[in-house]
Amino acid sequence: MSETLYIQHFKDSSRGLDYYLKQMEGYTALKKAFKMTPDDIINEMKKSNVRGRGGAGFPTGMKWGFIPKQASKPKYLVCNADESEPGTFKDRDLMRYTPHLLIEGMVIGGFAIGAHVGYIYIRGEYTREAKLLDEAIDEAYAKGYLGKNIQGSGFDFDLTVHRGAGAYICGEETGLLNSLEGKRGEPRVKPPFPAQAGAFGGPTIVNNVETLTNVPFIINKGGDWFAKLGKLEKSGGTRLVSISGHVKKPGVYEINAGSMTIRQLIYDVAGGILDDRPLKAVIPGGSSAPVLTADEIDVIYDIEPLMKVGSMMGSAALMVVNDSYPIVRLIKRITKFYAHESCGQCTPCREGCRWMEDILHRIEHGHGKEQDLALLLDITDNIAGKTLCALGDAAAGPVASFVRKFRPDFEALIRGGRHAQVHH
Amino acid sequence: MPKCTIDGREVEFKAGENLIEVARKVGIEIPYFCYHPGLSIVAQCRMCAVEIEKMPKLQTACSTPAGDGMVVKTRSERAKQNQKAIMEFLLINHPLDCPVCDKAGECDLQDFSYKYGDSYMRYMEERRTYVDLDMGPVIKKNMNRCIHCTRCIRFGTEVAGIHEMVAVKRGNNTEITTIDGRPLETDYAGNYADICPTGSLTLKDFRFKKRSWFLKKTATICEGCSRGCNMELQHEANMVYRSIPRTNMDVNQYWMCDEGRFNYRHLQDPSRVTKPTKSGSFVDWSAALSEARAVTQGKKTAVFVGTDLTQEEISMVIQFAQKSLPNSTVVHFGTPGVNSAADDAALDKILKRKSKTANLHGAEKLGLKGSNTATGYQAAVVFSGGRSNVAALMKDVKVPAVGVGVFTDETKGGFSVILPGAGFSEKDGTIVNFNGVEQKLKRAVLPPGQSKATSEILMMWSNQSGAQASATAGARV
Repeated sequence: MSETLYIQHFKDSSRGLDYYLKQMEGYTALKKAFKMTPDDIINEMKKSNVRGRGGAGFPTGMKWGFIPKQASKPKYLVCNADESEPGTFKDRDLMRYTPHLLIEGMVIGGFAIGAHVGYIYIRGEYTREAKLLDEAIDEAYAKGYLGKNIQGSGFDFDLTVHRGAGAYICGEETGLLNSLEGKRGEPRVKPPFPAQAGAFGGPTIVNNVETLTNVPFIINKGGDWFAKLGKLEKSGGTRLVSISGHVKKPGVYEINAGSMTIRQLIYDVAGGILDDRPLKAVIPGGSSAPVLTADEIDVIYDIEPLMKVGSMMGSAALMVVNDSYPIVRLIKRITKFYAHESCGQCTPCREGCRWMEDILHRIEHGHGKEQDLALLLDITDNIAGKTLCALGDAAAGPVASFVRKFRPDFEALIRGGRHAQVHH
Repeated sequence: MPKCTIDGREVEFKAGENLIEVARKVGIEIPYFCYHPGLSIVAQCRMCAVEIEKMPKLQTACSTPAGDGMVVKTRSERAKQNQKAIMEFLLINHPLDCPVCDKAGECDLQDFSYKYGDSYMRYMEERRTYVDLDMGPVIKKNMNRCIHCTRCIRFGTEVAGIHEMVAVKRGNNTEITTIDGRPLETDYAGNYADICPTGSLTLKDFRFKKRSWFLKKTATICEGCSRGCNMELQHEANMVYRSIPRTNMDVNQYWMCDEGRFNYRHLQDPSRVTKPTKSGSFVDWSAALSEARAVTQGKKTAVFVGTDLTQEEISMVIQFAQKSLPNSTVVHFGTPGVNSAADDAALDKILKRKSKTANLHGAEKLGLKGSNTATGYQAAVVFSGGRSNVAALMKDVKVPAVGVGVFTDETKGGFSVILPGAGFSEKDGTIVNFNGVEQKLKRAVLPPGQSKATSEILMMWSNQSGAQASATAGARV
């Protein structure tokens, strides 16, 4: 592996401000940013080709550019630290070990879009990380990196940690904003997009933790440098990949964007399949990403190549499944998650996710019917692309891909009952 | 004006109008459940999704403003497939108990399932069920029928100004209920039943009384206060069963209050006097009229006109008084404490007004002044449609009095004679609201028993020969 930005700092001793200042050129990017104009910062972001690390992969510089220069309401910068996509655990390490990187990134981001208030909306289960962030924020306030007139620049920025209450849907940016405002965590109709009317009606940018921790590097070393870290044209920087499941060395790894295939990640980085059993399936981008079979893993692990093979990189959570786990149970469990986490607002997701779960449950327990598979595919068609937010797609995509790619596993259970085994 | 094309038809629109409203102008129906023109847009039911050229995904018509040159297809294959899918999703957990549901016949879910749904059911799992919730005196909630459109929640917070309906739990288990299952508090609770697109929220008062398709509908005006909310009386066989608001953006928008909604019931009071009455016992019309003449003959008479009378009736009373009661003064009365149009004011932030009668402003327009005392007079004639506060008036009227109109046990005390007349649902006429808007009452039912229209009563009274009036005369003014 070539240059990494984060992974060498993922240790308990790197958490404090002292370490950040001495070992990570802490808050130098901030000072540099204050000498730049907001437009320059946004241009640098655009040049860096950094794409949102939360799942959608939207170019961050372009997103920042959507914020209107003049607005009647205050602007906000919100960090999405909800990290609720199953399989994803990279942001936790970023907040746990390099909280000041996030704080610095947010102050620069606030300066670039003209926001004076920032929120870190953190997953409720991350109690420890929320406490660590609070401590880091206190440190930053004490040393004048947050608050009024930051480092004599005349720029004010306040940062607050807001803890969620454990709903997946609050990781959806408008659901997050509702929750932040104290409302039910339900996604909003778009448009208006948050950049026009977000938190408390003001123009708002919502960025993932990793996206914001990229910012100090981009400012310090330049967008072009950052873009070159990526090995593909439209994807800059490095990616933190959460590898989990049946691998010998699960964990968070950092790779240059687009520098490796999934096969390399599994066998070279994560030490191969657990118990050296055959690989059965790979879910490449968090549980909402359509599944890949063992034959499909020679694809470059990045946004565009994965889209081309009908899946997605999502939050870069690679879940590896060997042949020891029943594939139908796996998709049942995933679907149960989405049915449970559906907010219940819009019809296809509220009704369809539970319906799919019920059917999969039946099949898993040997009560499936031949027509169930066609029905499942029909339901996924009726959900995908027709819901208010992306949760519907997140639930439908995996089901459709599992049924299409592992049809024999489903059929064996339908024809042979619950004890049927499939051997390829 | 900008134009867009919907299903091949060019439509002009005003900037900001959404596709549902624009399509409606040319008679194209885009089905929807959660959208309501008087509430915020949430695009939750997904039923109104349509295909728009140059957009990859279906777009919800409710949340999409029409754009110049936009080409919309509401019945393309994809749109139709989506409508079918949404109907299926909504019905898998819906009990389909239309035969025992009060909403049947006027239910969006039922109508659209016939029109856009599939007759075939693919759902084989267990249905989701809930326990019914008693939501106070006005509304009964059947959560099983609910399709989670959240119109009720939005009505509460956005119109009624009270956050009492909420969604609890999440996803498939979402339950629409009141906070902690408490009874509804708003005075506008009836609207919850009106806007509910299924039989989930029903009016307790109307439950199991009448199938909706038997009801005849008469567009009229509420007589409950000086707002004059537009409403529809629904009746069958001379019996009013329900009233619901009609849309009038200048007066009441889409809503009405519970007081107005249930006001029609005072005319169905079993103790209502529906026969001519003299000293508490029933007599025939000629005897009652003779007594009325005797009470007022040659006396200095105060004529109290209830401000629940129509413009036409008030004019007739004024003419009648000039001709037949030469020594009389005509004044108006209605709501204690509201003696003139100047006393009338808003009672809440929504619709209600202080004047509890509909035509206070009309009476003043005809030159009448308000008064509630008969001091200095020897006799009184009180005209009331049953809504004017007769009981309060009669506390101060100690002279022999004739009552004309609607009286019940509660209000008949103190009258020597009562000549039974017609209430607001039993007559045509004009009333003037607090903004000076003239609106028409329409007769929905006939006056009960021997009650007669004010015009007829006055005609008989002024006919000194005392001849029987034509028994066939209608109640029309």
